[in-house]
Amino acid sequence: MKKNKSFGTVPGKVWSQYSFIFEMVIVMVAYAFTIKSNGNVFKWSHIAAILGSQNTCIVGTMALGMALVIITGQIDLSIGSSLVLTTGVTIMVFNVTNSVLLMILAGLATGALCGAVNGLLVGLAKMPPFVVTLGTMLIYRSLTLSVVRSIDPAISGSSSSQFAMNSKNSSYEFLRMKFGTGKLTIGGFSVPYITFVFVFMVILFIILSEKTKYGKSVYAVGSNEKSARLAGINVTWVKVSVFILTGLMVGVGSILQACKIGNVTPASSGVSYEMYAIAAVVLGGVSMAGGKGKILGVIFGALSYTTINFIIVSIPSLSVDIQDTFQGLVLIVVILVQTIGPVLRESIRRARKKHQTAK
Amino acid sequence: MSILEMSHVSKAFGGSKALSDIHFNVEEGEIHALLGENGAGKSTLMNILTGVIPADEGTVTFCGKTYPNPTIAQMEAAGIAFVHQELNVINDLTVADNIFLCRELTNGLGLLRRKEQIRRAGELFESLGVDIDPTMLVSELKTGEKQLLEICRALYADAKLLILDEPTTALSNKEIDHLFSILRRLKEQGKSFIFISHKMPEIFAIADRYTVLRNGEFVSSGRIADTTPHAVTSDMVGATYVDADVYESRELGDTVLEVRSLSGTGFEDVSFTARRGEIIAFTGLAGCGASELMQTLFGAMPAVSGELLVNGKSPRGSIVSFMRSGVGMLPADRKENSVVPDLSILENYYLAEHELSHRRPLIRISGEKKRYEGHKEMLRIKADDCDNSIGSLSGGNQQKVFIARWLNIGADVLLFDNPTQGVDVGAKAEIYRLILEFAKEGKTILINTLEIPEIQKVADRCLVFYEGRVVKEFRHSEVNEHDVMLYSTNAAETEA
Repeated sequence: MKKNKSFGTVPGKVWSQYSFIFEMVIVMVAYAFTIKSNGNVFKWSHIAAILGSQNTCIVGTMALGMALVIITGQIDLSIGSSLVLTTGVTIMVFNVTNSVLLMILAGLATGALCGAVNGLLVGLAKMPPFVVTLGTMLIYRSLTLSVVRSIDPAISGSSSSQFAMNSKNSSYEFLRMKFGTGKLTIGGFSVPYITFVFVFMVILFIILSEKTKYGKSVYAVGSNEKSARLAGINVTWVKVSVFILTGLMVGVGSILQACKIGNVTPASSGVSYEMYAIAAVVLGGVSMAGGKGKILGVIFGALSYTTINFIIVSIPSLSVDIQDTFQGLVLIVVILVQTIGPVLRESIRRARKKHQTAK
Repeated sequence: MSILEMSHVSKAFGGSKALSDIHFNVEEGEIHALLGENGAGKSTLMNILTGVIPADEGTVTFCGKTYPNPTIAQMEAAGIAFVHQELNVINDLTVADNIFLCRELTNGLGLLRRKEQIRRAGELFESLGVDIDPTMLVSELKTGEKQLLEICRALYADAKLLILDEPTTALSNKEIDHLFSILRRLKEQGKSFIFISHKMPEIFAIADRYTVLRNGEFVSSGRIADTTPHAVTSDMVGATYVDADVYESRELGDTVLEVRSLSGTGFEDVSFTARRGEIIAFTGLAGCGASELMQTLFGAMPAVSGELLVNGKSPRGSIVSFMRSGVGMLPADRKENSVVPDLSILENYYLAEHELSHRRPLIRISGEKKRYEGHKEMLRIKADDCDNSIGSLSGGNQQKVFIARWLNIGADVLLFDNPTQGVDVGAKAEIYRLILEFAKEGKTILINTLEIPEIQKVADRCLVFYEGRVVKEFRHSEVNEHDVMLYSTNAAETEA
């Protein structure tokens, strides 16, 4: 019987709690092989491209908020659309004021407002988050579309279909060229600046979720809402606040979008980002049922997801149309492993027990 | 003629005997009351009868046929139906759909013959004198009507013997009268009933015969007409024993808790005061309102009217404001209401305190652990590592962690709602020892429990609830199982 305890040993624990790291390593190795088979050499620049990709930094940043929302047992489908709306506002404020500070404040405030609308409808009106955020997903994007069509090009900075950073503004050079697309080189390894913003946010959210009283209450609400309430936790506030935090991360994402891409197209930008964010969260080991998962996993989830994208893109025989099929398959397989893993482990344990008693 | 005969039935779970050598028979066309305290073995016996669990020994004979190993399907087919306390009707279907659930009438194409179903349901209701529209949605029915619907469903399946498990708990007096008139009519048609209830007035109004179980043993059986509520109650509780060695009377301090004609969901017009160092027990049957009162005293349920003062102030609104006034509650059903399964022992412990110390948002782990260790020692919690999952602890130790949760906020009014539910005997004794210790330290303690021997061990006073009202107050020396049972079943009223 004692032998069976080996599942509780240190490597077992690391595997079950940090499996997202192994997942990412496997995906990275697969990527290296794909590049090799294309006749190229796997270099640091490939990794730097993954680190600086918008799927890592922009979606990853928003996925941090999404992770908290999912840990409370809810969901936010609106972040792709609120990214478009928020980036629109961010760019317009920049174009009009030429102020970096005001642009950042506007981005954060608009994002938080979008999140607060979701949160209040869910928390106070007690509506199901799936439906509320499905509604705001439609609203936020269509509002942005109607604004971009009718607004003065001097403010939107572009034609009638885009918001674009005004290149004549004095801070443009700094924001776009230095920060948005620039890299920091340390000892031959270059890392995009915006990756540091993402990593900083990850650290902030790890502290928030693991070292603060608020973070514990988020987990408690997702784990057992009734117990959480009877321990004095204001369940409604926790549920509202995670949406506001997600909104703030959308705000950060909008600043990264403005600086890295320089524009946003309401009709096509940020489409399916909510799905990518959910995928990153789930790949990072956060349970959709709520209460379980580590924020650290989200960084690896986002990296894995981006890498999977890169692999698919770098296989020449795959057409663009079929890419989503592979992304979907990978996601399903990962979840399958996560859900079936414990079941398999249990049946192995039982089989062993049977075997032993038979002896 | 006996329709059901169970003889020499025994059942043990693990090492403890749940039933030993039980005899139980029901005549055709009678209402037979099955009586006993919680844990007397009534549900085990009924589960054996309906084939849910197998008996270790004994035979079941129903309608002249002997079933050595009854299964659920067999007993259903034979005509035994269990009408559960929690209603098993489907709210989102119509009344007729519920009756024909899993035995739908269909035409050649496999489509529902809805009109025919409605017609037949209507006929069934008419023959029973039930006034329900078969086309209504079940969610629109009153609780009493749902109860009737469930009985009708069983009858439609041609049940000969119906087991009614506390069928009146959720019903108003008028609904109870209606139910009883239907039961009487069915009885005349030859249907038999096993009627499980604690409420003496009802038993004496409806039942023909009774059987009393106590601690898994057969105690007595006979005709209701030949007995009295007093005698039945004595049979249920047995020779009363008092384990008085732990209790000692204490000097009581100032008034801490004042409740003046408080009403809320499930209770009405309750008044009492509690002083520093006092232990007050609430008791009554399930659904008597004591648990709801307790939740209202913690802010978890709203009060409708009346006044509630804790330490001279009346906390408003949220649970947190009650916590600030020094109230802590150990809720009933630990797994549902206390345990946060994904968090560790330590996290489960400090969760409540953090709601009061929001101003310092960061968790200082060393300080938290130190405080936890202090309470762990004080409450003698048996746990290896406080970072382990809360689920790794036994029920009793989990409960102690949740008690520590409230000591951690310095609560001086502790509400214990059914604190010994699902903990073993040793841990039970320890929890009561702790309660006495807290009282000695000057804390005020309210306990809601159905277990009267526990009240005898610790309580200074005992308030007995019946249907949301306090019907009797006993002092410590007056508490005995027989009298408490008499008032909680309202048998005292019946005899007067």
